[in-house]
Amino acid sequence: MDIDDILREVDPASHGIPLETRDLQALTRLWVAERSAPELLNWPADGLFERVNSKIKSQIEKIEDMTGDMDPKTNFALIVIQTELERYKFLVRSYLRARIAKIDKYTLHYLSTEELRQRLSPTELAYATRHQALLHNHYLSSFLSSFPQRLQNLNDTAGNVSMIDSPDLDTAVFIRLLRDKDVFGRGTDVDTILPAASGDILILRWSSAKDLVEHGDAELV
Amino acid sequence: MYGDSGIKLVQHAKRTQNLAHLPPYQTELVRAVTREVRDLNKDVDDLLEPFQGSFDPSEDQAVAYTLLVNHISMRRNKRCLLAYHRTRTDKLEELVWNGADVVDLSGQQVRDGSSRNSTGLTSGDGSTSSLSPQEEDYVRQYGDLLAAYKGQWTDIDLTGSLEPPRDLFIDVRVLKDAGEIQTEYGAITLTKNSQFYVRQGDVERLIAQGYLQKLS
Repeated sequence: MDIDDILREVDPASHGIPLETRDLQALTRLWVAERSAPELLNWPADGLFERVNSKIKSQIEKIEDMTGDMDPKTNFALIVIQTELERYKFLVRSYLRARIAKIDKYTLHYLSTEELRQRLSPTELAYATRHQALLHNHYLSSFLSSFPQRLQNLNDTAGNVSMIDSPDLDTAVFIRLLRDKDVFGRGTDVDTILPAASGDILILRWSSAKDLVEHGDAELV
Repeated sequence: MYGDSGIKLVQHAKRTQNLAHLPPYQTELVRAVTREVRDLNKDVDDLLEPFQGSFDPSEDQAVAYTLLVNHISMRRNKRCLLAYHRTRTDKLEELVWNGADVVDLSGQQVRDGSSRNSTGLTSGDGSTSSLSPQEEDYVRQYGDLLAAYKGQWTDIDLTGSLEPPRDLFIDVRVLKDAGEIQTEYGAITLTKNSQFYVRQGDVERLIAQGYLQKLS
């Protein structure tokens, strides 16, 4: 438990909000953040997706139970539940696809260090490893195997150019401040420190915004 | 010239990015570039042979430069080949995500191949499929991999639409006969040119496969 959890417990605003609602909020935030961040963000470690999955399962069962009923009242409720379910599923799908797209693009980069591997979920890690193996095999069987031995690597750094592509961490992102804070932003010519209030929306480099987002001082929009 | 075939491959790759289908695999070009790399490597070995492993670049600068150029050309060719193959595998993966399988792809290639020949573009080595055998293997294996990953998320159709769902029910028009489908409201027979008001989740696959058209 870290300081944020303690704060949340004494915060009256989060009392009375059921866990399901908070999960949905968390999922929505993750989804927005993942779609705007240039690099892969951490996989939520607190079992969010286990809860989301069981929730989806129970809703599907509920729908199946209600379908047999021909009462117009339940029929209406059914449509509401189904619509909600479709939206929930869309969020999960879009989130997972955004991650897979990033993983596919920079597979070797995310597999290269232990710290980066930690960001992937176990299934994503399995997928990425297998995908890279497939690609390598494909290269080997297509042309690489007839190359001289010392040219067969895929991670050369000869001539100071690394063969491993990595995401551009200086891409601009939009963030919304969650508390008052002096924001430090690196610029091309000059660096600035900008005093910003909670709720302000700023555009800055992801490399400058990353710490703020990770500490919960700001969120991606 | 060194690298000429390499740049051709990259140009092919660049063009592939903007095409809806996959142009034929350039077997000849790939082979030419690979051969060039092997020849260059042989040159390097021949050049180094008289020195018996005690080559000093500062003493014999002419040889050193030749070696450098050869090495750089080899690396460049390698990058060209990688770029070409990666562009194609990306394209193939996209097709797999969209629900195509090897049989579909090769089938479609035959048709594409004939139409392309008539527009004057040469097709690789004249085979009917525009995928190389290795690429067909790759598609098959990637399909399995994707199926395995999707299997972890049984309730969410990962390959489903990435458009946010607005309405539960949508109007669709049937473009091709698709037979009978089962929905929770009973069976619907989809005959060509008819129109239905159905649940989006039930027909998503059919829309993606081109049997149905969504009416907005």
